[in-house]
Amino acid sequence: MNLFDTTQLGLQSAISGAGMRQATIAGNISNANTPGYQRKDVDFHTTLRAALASDAPMEAVKTAAFSPATATTGPMRADGNGVDIDVESATMAANALEYETLVSVARGRTDVLRSAMGVA
Amino acid sequence: MSLFDAIDTAASGLSAERMRMDVTAENLANAQTTRGADGQPYRRKVVVLQEAVPSNFGSTLRGAMKGTNTTGVRVAEIAQDATPNRLVYDPGHPDADPRGYVSMPNVQPVTEMVDLISASRGYEANVTVMQTSKQMFSKTLEILR
Repeated sequence: MNLFDTTQLGLQSAISGAGMRQATIAGNISNANTPGYQRKDVDFHTTLRAALASDAPMEAVKTAAFSPATATTGPMRADGNGVDIDVESATMAANALEYETLVSVARGRTDVLRSAMGVA
Repeated sequence: MSLFDAIDTAASGLSAERMRMDVTAENLANAQTTRGADGQPYRRKVVVLQEAVPSNFGSTLRGAMKGTNTTGVRVAEIAQDATPNRLVYDPGHPDADPRGYVSMPNVQPVTEMVDLISASRGYEANVTVMQTSKQMFSKTLEILR
């Protein structure tokens, strides 16, 4: 019997993925004027979905690791830069909302645990 | 990689954009300078940006251990624009050549204004990243309350 179930571990993993994605988007925006820079992104959704669908979801979610991947869409501008600042801003806003949603859900679930333990 | 890395990265972007703005200001201020430090007309300076890893201890260690790291930006060099100087006919100018032409700096005010707007927008974008990351981080702290 585990204190934290697969959903809670999945939430933790998703929070760290969204945090990594935020740092990656920050890198894209800071390099919006760097010649030859290609945008990077973290696809934590696919990794996590595969982990949750596997035979031993709890172990798979615990060991799920994310890493930033460089986009292969090619340069957008004459100087070889592939960052569209509008796309990055929109992605960052969406990612921040997702992160806050994940944190709220994780918080709600730990609150349930706390009241079960009689601490809250 | 953590949210603090996002803040470090945005900070590297802020300092790079500020450097671009400083150099643009220098170019505009010297748009009519016919005698630079070497006695030659002023030459336009350009900031060369390069992708870089923030050089703090934490991210360097993590990068070495996991092989992944955030990418910030850094000023690789401040280069000189190779465009030839503008020749202006002004025989009365003390720096005029025997034919009456003065070699003026290769600074185009319109280009500088465009660079200034671009640097300013880039700066704002990095500030937004910093604010969003800060907001996300304080949201995380709520779990502990």
